[in-house]
Amino acid sequence: MTSFDRFGVTERLIRETLAAALSRGGDFADLFFEHAVGSDLGLEDGAVNRAYASVSLGVGVRVLKGDQTGYGYTEDLSLPAMLECARTAAAIADGPARDAPLAFHVRRDLPSRYPLERAWDQVPPEERLPLLAGLNERAFAADARVRKVNVHLRSEATSVLVADSTGRLAEDSQPMTVLSLSVLAEQGGRREQNGYNVAGRAGLEFYTPERLGRVVREAVARTAVLFEAGAPPAGELPVVLAAGSSGILLHEAIGHGMEADFNRKGTSIYADKIGKVVARPFVNIVDDATGAGARGSINVDDEGNAAGVTHLVRDGVLATYLHDAISARHYGVSPTGNGRRESYRHPPLPRMRSTYMLPGPHRKEEIIASVKRGLYCQNFSNGQVNIGAGDFTFYVKNGWLIEDGKLTRPVKDVNIIGNGPKALEQVDMVADDLEIDEGGWTCGKDGQSVPVSQGLPTVRVASLTVGGRGR
Amino acid sequence: MTLLEIAKLAAGLATRHGAGEASAGAWRSRQVEVAWRDGRLEKIAEATTRGLGLDLYVDGRYAAVSTSDLRPAALERFVIESVALARAISPDPHRRLPDPALYQGRADEAALELADPAYDAVDAPTRRRLAEALEVAAREVPGAGRVLSVSTSVSDTQGEAALVHTNGFEGWRRSTAFWMGAEMTVQDPDGRRPEESAATGSRFFGALEAPEAVGRRAAERAHSRLGAVKGASGLVTLVVEPRAAGRLVGALLGPMTAGALQQKRSFLEGLAGQAIASPLLDLTDDPLLRRGFGSRSYDGEGLAARPRRLVEAGVLREYYVDCYYGRKLGLAPTTGRPSNLSWRLGQKGRDALVADVGEGVLVTGFLGGNSNSTTGDFSLGVRGFAIRGGRLAEPIGEMNVSGDQLTLWRRLAAVGDDPYPYAALRTPTLVFEGVQLAGT
Repeated sequence: MTSFDRFGVTERLIRETLAAALSRGGDFADLFFEHAVGSDLGLEDGAVNRAYASVSLGVGVRVLKGDQTGYGYTEDLSLPAMLECARTAAAIADGPARDAPLAFHVRRDLPSRYPLERAWDQVPPEERLPLLAGLNERAFAADARVRKVNVHLRSEATSVLVADSTGRLAEDSQPMTVLSLSVLAEQGGRREQNGYNVAGRAGLEFYTPERLGRVVREAVARTAVLFEAGAPPAGELPVVLAAGSSGILLHEAIGHGMEADFNRKGTSIYADKIGKVVARPFVNIVDDATGAGARGSINVDDEGNAAGVTHLVRDGVLATYLHDAISARHYGVSPTGNGRRESYRHPPLPRMRSTYMLPGPHRKEEIIASVKRGLYCQNFSNGQVNIGAGDFTFYVKNGWLIEDGKLTRPVKDVNIIGNGPKALEQVDMVADDLEIDEGGWTCGKDGQSVPVSQGLPTVRVASLTVGGRGR
Repeated sequence: MTLLEIAKLAAGLATRHGAGEASAGAWRSRQVEVAWRDGRLEKIAEATTRGLGLDLYVDGRYAAVSTSDLRPAALERFVIESVALARAISPDPHRRLPDPALYQGRADEAALELADPAYDAVDAPTRRRLAEALEVAAREVPGAGRVLSVSTSVSDTQGEAALVHTNGFEGWRRSTAFWMGAEMTVQDPDGRRPEESAATGSRFFGALEAPEAVGRRAAERAHSRLGAVKGASGLVTLVVEPRAAGRLVGALLGPMTAGALQQKRSFLEGLAGQAIASPLLDLTDDPLLRRGFGSRSYDGEGLAARPRRLVEAGVLREYYVDCYYGRKLGLAPTTGRPSNLSWRLGQKGRDALVADVGEGVLVTGFLGGNSNSTTGDFSLGVRGFAIRGGRLAEPIGEMNVSGDQLTLWRRLAAVGDDPYPYAALRTPTLVFEGVQLAGT
C-alpha cells in the first residue's frame, strides 16, 4: 500500500491544500499526514487481562513566514476540511499569494534503519501474549520476595507522509515497541518496587531469549538491592555515572540547551557559545539518528529532512545546535534533521534523537578508584532542566556510595541537581566503555512527547549537589 | 451527528459485534493559541479535533480502545477488530460496568458553570491585543536593560463530550477554558539567563486577571532570580508558595488510589483512620466547585460526583476508589480520580507566613525529582529565596529537598489563606519544619 492509499489522499488534494496554505504570502508550507496504530497488552495479578488499542489519523498544515508559524490540523482528510485548516494556518502571513508546486518528487534517498520482518499491525495478539506470561513466571521464580508483577507490552505501527511547498515529498514507516517489567517485593514488612524496560524501533524479533532474560534479571536485581539501600548524604559530592542510561546527564545538562529554538530566541544558557571551549578536550557529544533499531532513530525527520549524526561538542568545543527548518534558516545553516513532533496535532520543534558521549581515555575501574567519597549512579527514572538558568536534575533509582575508591553500600531515590555548563566543565574523566541504553526514554517539551535514546561511557563529574540526607 | 448520537452508535456497534456491555465516550474540542515574542507574532494555531473511546466487556474480558478515524466504515472495522482483541486475552471477573445505582443523584451540570456562554465573542484581534499587552507590561518593570526575551501566549479551548454506557448511563457536557501567560528571560552578569513566568486561567473569559498584572508578575519574578546562589545544606523551615505546592500534595494523591493499594504500591495502605499528617491538614475532593478546573457532575465511569473527605485534622479518612480496584479490594467505589481539592485555610498569606518563620527558605519552584509511591521517599530540586529576619533575602537555586512523605506532612506547621486559583489542586502556602535541604 502506498502512503497515498493509506491516507486516502491524492497529489491534487495535496497541491490544492498547499495553495490555500500559501494564499496569504507565507514563504513555506508543509503538510504532515500521520496514521498511527498503537496496541498495548497488560499483565496484572498473573493474567494478561487488559488490552488497549488506538488509531489516530490526521494531517497538520504548517505555514512559515520568516520564523513565524501558522498551524492547523484536522482528522477529516476531505478537501473542504483540509482547505479550512490551510487557510487558518495561512493567516500568519498577510500578503499576496504564492504559488504551490506543480509536481512533487518523492525522496528516494532515505536510509532504512529499522527494517522489520512484519509490521506490528500484522502480529496478532495471540503471538504477543506468551511474552508477557513468560516474564511473569520468571520474575516470581527469580526471587521469593516478589509479591506483584506487572508486564506491559506496547507496539506501534506509524506511517508518516510530509509534503512541502518546494515539491518535496518524504514518507516513512516508523515502528516502535516497548516492553516493561515492574516488580514489587516484600521483606520483613518493608516493600520496594522497581523495574526494567527495553524499547526499540523493531518488531517481534526484538524480543530474543537473551534480551528477555536480561529484562527479568535486571528488574528483580534492581528491586532486591533496594532492601539494602539507604539515602546518600546531602551536599556537593563527586559523582560517577555508570555507562548506559546515565546519558540522561547529557540530555538535561546540554541537549535541551543546544536545541536551536532556545538559542535563536536568546533564552538558552548556551546562546552565543558556538566555537567556545565548554569541556575537556576528550569530551565529544553527539546526537545520532542513525543507530539501527534504536528508539531515538529516524530515517527522516518530521519536516522531510535527512537525519544523521550531529556533533554538539567536538573535542571539548561547542560545535552545532540541533536545528529544525526555522532555526536552520535563521542561522543560515543546513537542517540537522532534528525537526520532530509528537503527532499531526503539533508543529515540529528542534528535538533530540539519540544523545550520547563518545568513549574517552580512562577506564571504569580507574574512575571509581579515584573517588575518595562520592556517589556512583546506575539507574534513573526522570530528569528536567531550566534552559536559561541552566539548572538541571536527574533522579537516581539505584546507586552506590563510593568510599576510598570502592563501592560500599547501595543508595536509592535521590535527586541530583547541577548547572549545565558548570557540570560539563567538571566532567574530568571519561571511560572507554560507551553503552547506548536500551530503555524506553521519552522526552517532553512544549507539551509534546517524542521517543529518544541516550548513552554514556562511565564518566566522573567532579562535583554535583546530591539531594540526600544528613552528612 | 451529535456527540451523544456518535457515542450511542459506537456502543450499539460494540454490542452488535459481540460485546456484552460497552461504554462509549465521544469528544470534540476547539483549541486556539496565539504566541507572541519580542514585539511580534510568533505562532498562531487553531484546530477542531475529535475522538472516540470505547470500553468493551466481551465474554468476561476487557479492552479499552480509541480512534480519531470516525469514517463509518473505518469505525465499524475498528469495533470488530477491538472485540477480537478483547477475545484474545484472559477473562477478568472484576471487569464490568458500574452498578447503575451509582449513576443516580447527579448534580446539575449547568450549575457548575464550566462553559462560558460568551466563548464565541473572543476573537483573533482580542487574543492578539492581550498577547501584546502582556509583553508591554512585562517590559515596563524596571530593569528592562537586562531583558533578553519576553514570550507571551493566549489560548482558549472549548470542549464537548458525551458518555454512554449500555446499562443505562448517558451524560453530556461542555466546558471552556481561557489561559494567558508571560515568560521573561533576563541576563545574569555571570552568563546565566534565568527565566520565570506567570499565568492566569479561568473557565470564564471575564474572570481572567488583567494582562498588565500577569505581565508585571512574570517580569518581577524573572528579575528577582538574578544572582541566584546555592545555599548550605541543613535542616530548614520550608515555606512553599501556592503555585509550587501542588507538586507536594500531588505526591499524596497517587498513593490514595485503590489501584495503588491493591498493587501494594502505596505507603498509605492500612493507614485509614490514622494520623498521616499534622492536625492542620484537612483535604476534601470537591468535584462540585463552581467553575473549578477539575469540576464535574459525573466521573469517567459515570458515577455521580460528590465531595469526599480525604483527610480530616490530619487523619486519613477515605481513598479514591474506582469500580474495578474497588471490586478487587472489596471496597465500595467513591471515585477513581481526583477532581478539585479544597483545604481548611489558615489566616495568613505567603508574606505573613514568611515573616512568622523568620529564618528558612521560600520555595517558588520545583525542578525534576520524584516521590516513591511505595515507600514515600522523595527528593526534589528546588529554587526560591533564603528567608532572613522574616524577609526574603537572596535568591537560591541548584538545591534539593528530600525526606519521606509521612514525616513531611506531620511537620506541616501552617497553611495559608491563599489557594492557587489556576490549578485544580488549589494549594495554599504551606509551611513545613525540619526539612532536609541539600546545597553546598
